[in-house]
Amino acid sequence: MAFNVDDDATELLETYDFLMKFIIIGEAGTGKSCLLHQFTHNSFKDHSQHTIGVEFSSRTLKLGEKKIKLQLWDTAGQERFRSVTRSYYRGAAGAILVYDITSRESFANLSRWLTDARALGSASLVVILVGNKSDREEEREVEWSEASKWAADNDVHFLEASSLSGDNVEAPFLLAARSVLLAIEAGALDPEKAGSGVSYGDRALRRVNSSSRLSFGSLSGGRQKNTVKLKMKKWMPGSRCC
Amino acid sequence: MAATLHSDSASPQPRNPTSLRIYKILGTSFNDPGTQDALRTVSELYAPEALAARSSKEASTDATEDSPLQPHHEPPSLSSRVNSTSQDLTHGIEDIAAAARQNLRKDTEKRLTDTSRKYLTALGEINAKLELLQTHVNLMRTSCNEADQHLQASTDASKSMLEHASSLRNQRQQVEDRKSIVSLFISRFTLLDAEALALTSRDASVDETFFRAMDRAEQIRDDCRVLMSGEEGPSQAGLDIMAKMSSQIEQGYEKMLRWTAHAFRQMGRDSQLDVHPSLRAAVVRLRKRPELLHEVLGQLAEIRQDTVLSSFITALTRGGPSGLPRPIEIHAHDPLRYVGDMLAWVHQAIAAEREFLESLFDVKGDRRMVGATRSFAKAEATEEEGWLFEMMDAAVTKLCVPLKARVEQTIRSQQSGIVSYKVANLLQFYWITMSRTIGEEALLSKALRGLTDLAFTVFYDEVQAHAKTLTENMMDPNDTSVAPPYALLDHVQVLKEILNVYQSFLNEDQEDDQSHELVRILDIMVDSAVNMCTVGASDKMAIRPVWDGRVFVLNCLTYIQNVLEGYAFTGRKQTSLAETIKTHTGILLEDHYQNLMEDTGLKGFANVSSSYDESGPLSHQPGARAHEVQAYLHQFASWLSMVEIGHSPRLTRLTQHKLHSEIHEAALERLVEVYRQLCAEVRRPSHKYEAAATLLGSERPFGQVALLQQILGVADRADLKEGSSQ
Ligand SMILES: Nc1nc2c(ncn2[C@@H]2O[C@H](COP(=O)(O)OP(=O)(O)OP(=O)(O)O)[C@@H](O)[C@H]2O)c(=O)[nH]1
Ligand SMILES: [Mg+2]
Repeated sequence: MAFNVDDDATELLETYDFLMKFIIIGEAGTGKSCLLHQFTHNSFKDHSQHTIGVEFSSRTLKLGEKKIKLQLWDTAGQERFRSVTRSYYRGAAGAILVYDITSRESFANLSRWLTDARALGSASLVVILVGNKSDREEEREVEWSEASKWAADNDVHFLEASSLSGDNVEAPFLLAARSVLLAIEAGALDPEKAGSGVSYGDRALRRVNSSSRLSFGSLSGGRQKNTVKLKMKKWMPGSRCC
Repeated sequence: MAATLHSDSASPQPRNPTSLRIYKILGTSFNDPGTQDALRTVSELYAPEALAARSSKEASTDATEDSPLQPHHEPPSLSSRVNSTSQDLTHGIEDIAAAARQNLRKDTEKRLTDTSRKYLTALGEINAKLELLQTHVNLMRTSCNEADQHLQASTDASKSMLEHASSLRNQRQQVEDRKSIVSLFISRFTLLDAEALALTSRDASVDETFFRAMDRAEQIRDDCRVLMSGEEGPSQAGLDIMAKMSSQIEQGYEKMLRWTAHAFRQMGRDSQLDVHPSLRAAVVRLRKRPELLHEVLGQLAEIRQDTVLSSFITALTRGGPSGLPRPIEIHAHDPLRYVGDMLAWVHQAIAAEREFLESLFDVKGDRRMVGATRSFAKAEATEEEGWLFEMMDAAVTKLCVPLKARVEQTIRSQQSGIVSYKVANLLQFYWITMSRTIGEEALLSKALRGLTDLAFTVFYDEVQAHAKTLTENMMDPNDTSVAPPYALLDHVQVLKEILNVYQSFLNEDQEDDQSHELVRILDIMVDSAVNMCTVGASDKMAIRPVWDGRVFVLNCLTYIQNVLEGYAFTGRKQTSLAETIKTHTGILLEDHYQNLMEDTGLKGFANVSSSYDESGPLSHQPGARAHEVQAYLHQFASWLSMVEIGHSPRLTRLTQHKLHSEIHEAALERLVEVYRQLCAEVRRPSHKYEAAATLLGSERPFGQVALLQQILGVADRADLKEGSSQ
């Protein structure tokens, strides 16, 4: 349960438009920690050990005009940590559900994970199914078409990736972030509310109301929520960028 | 016209010197402009006014005037008028020409004289005028002289003024130079108005301009300090500048402080954790004023405390937007989930807090700092890390109170020891996690430690109470069963569940069976169970001697052992339990052996031989006389002939079969030894048994130890030893 903070200082120090909470779930050994490591460090995590409890990391993404900071909670897949990790599903905006294409068992258990995530995550939880280890084609046990069908039946996005080669590793995160933005736009999610798994960053707020936020000329001039909402429409993600 | 006259008269002249002369004269052309002018002047001299005007007019018209013929087409009136005029003229000209020929010289001279006279008169006038002019000029000269004198005087006078002026000019130049130096100095050592405004104005925001002004002010102050450290010592100007700069810098810091505090307040209100670059820059600068930074961080800590606390309470009681996710308290009936959700919430809040603080203090995260090789960077990082820990600690301080209250209540209201144990484990897991994240000394870590201790205490209390009821459990004296009683089964079941939790729970070092808590659990649970069996059994045996307490004890102990064997990490307890079992096995073995001795009749002989004091032959001792030995051997032979010698009906009641055969075999081996000894004693001549061979050979196994071993199915001791040494 250590804190792994993003290596890239410039990314870290940038301000952002949105902050989103994502959880990474799935059976032990499917490569969740490796996927995340590849995503945050652009390298394969050698000698990955079983995760103990939950590990935290973060990374900032660019999606069109928007900068999105992701708070990523890598959970342990081992059964003995289930009672602990389940508490981290609370109010997550997105879930990256990982299975191992060379392990039918890890695929067979997906429903259990999805049920938990839907029950415990945010109301409009976005789920992305990732078939990991796509580099081990010769040992494949789960066909792409089968997983794709499962994903369609369960209303989740699906893609295959390899934490080893880095293939498609960013895609699930981008896809999830984009879906969350769409949900915000559609009004299904309100970043102003705690527990939605999303919140506004300084960058977004500054665009809305720069003067009152950053000068102290008028100490009483607090941000008025209503006006903010009205103006928000202007820079909300349009269909063009999303 | 003159040409016309000459051509008319010349044509008829003859060729002679005079005529030649005349020809020459006549040939002379008077067409040159000088002659023509002269002639014209002369003609004008004599011409009447009208003629003169006409002649000059005709001269300027064309050559057709020479012809006497007039063009017929001209209007008659005009023609006649011209004709009449022409006739008058012709008549006048002839008169004038004659007069001219006679008087030309005279007239000319007369004219000259007239003209000269006129000149004279005119010149006389001019002369008079000139004389007048002369007088004027003289007057002017006088005036000029006077003016000159005046000028001279004023030149003399202005000379000193000029000198004065040039010295003034020089002075002005110097002043100008000084001025530019001073203004250079000023621009170097004072802030621009805009800069000063940026530093001090409440309306200007804290931004790039502000920071540049701040840099300038500090630069000036530093430069000034350097200058004043020169040989001349501090100058008044220097001191003034220093004072001014210091005051402006102070104002800048004050402003930064106010602004930062405001930004923090804003941040708290929004519960939003993104850090604007200016805010980060301000915090970096405030580090030069630790007391200010301290103040503002104190404020931030308070704000964060309140924000985190209220977010926590919201998550507990109200949940997310429109109740999703559900409030944490909704699961208060499920202690593990309730406590787990609360702690996970806190953990996530701390993660967010840490990210925020790292961004605020411009710290790049753990790994980077670990990797830092430069020592000074490390020292710096340590300071920031210090703040980071302090602030993280502070942020969750207020939250500790409601967290503690809720967790404590949950712990205390637990009925089930297992659930208590799970909660205790969960708390311990988070305590370890938090200690690593925010340090062991952090308030939350301490609170978690306290809660963990409390949960374990409650759990141990429960375990102890459980153990106590077990030991106090009076065994039913009428129960003839030697199987582990229900109370023990229940107790061991609890132990099993605890071990399952321990095994499946979050302990990172599972192989480590030294775990303090585990040792304690096992001590309480296993020892109480062992006590219950042993003490309870001996108590019951005292009342019911027929009840086989020894088998019962072993049955209980092996039952416990079986359970422990399922958990690799209980190795130590297994070892100590094995010791206990060994002791009790020994007791049972002895008991069983004694029983066998009785049954086989060998006991009588063994009793005598053991008390034998070497006084006289054994065959003379009462109880060992030949006929008595004969009786022992007979009993032994009949025992041997009984079926199922390999089994003991008593030991079949041991639930652990291995133990049964082990004890029985050991007892039989000892029996063989006793028989071997008997044979040896009987055969010894000093004991004076008559016909010893016959005596021994009269009953099975006829004095043959090997045969006995065969019958009993036990290996020779020597063989065993050999076998094991190979
Ligand atoms: N070939 C291949 N191996 C992978 C890939 N991703 C992960 N692995 C290997 O899979 C194993 C498990 O990876 P982890 O990332 O630790 O698995 P995890 O899902 O985090 O496991 P838990 O933390 O126990 O839940 C490691 O040995 C990795 O080297 C991949 O894309 N390709
Ligand atoms: Mg992992």
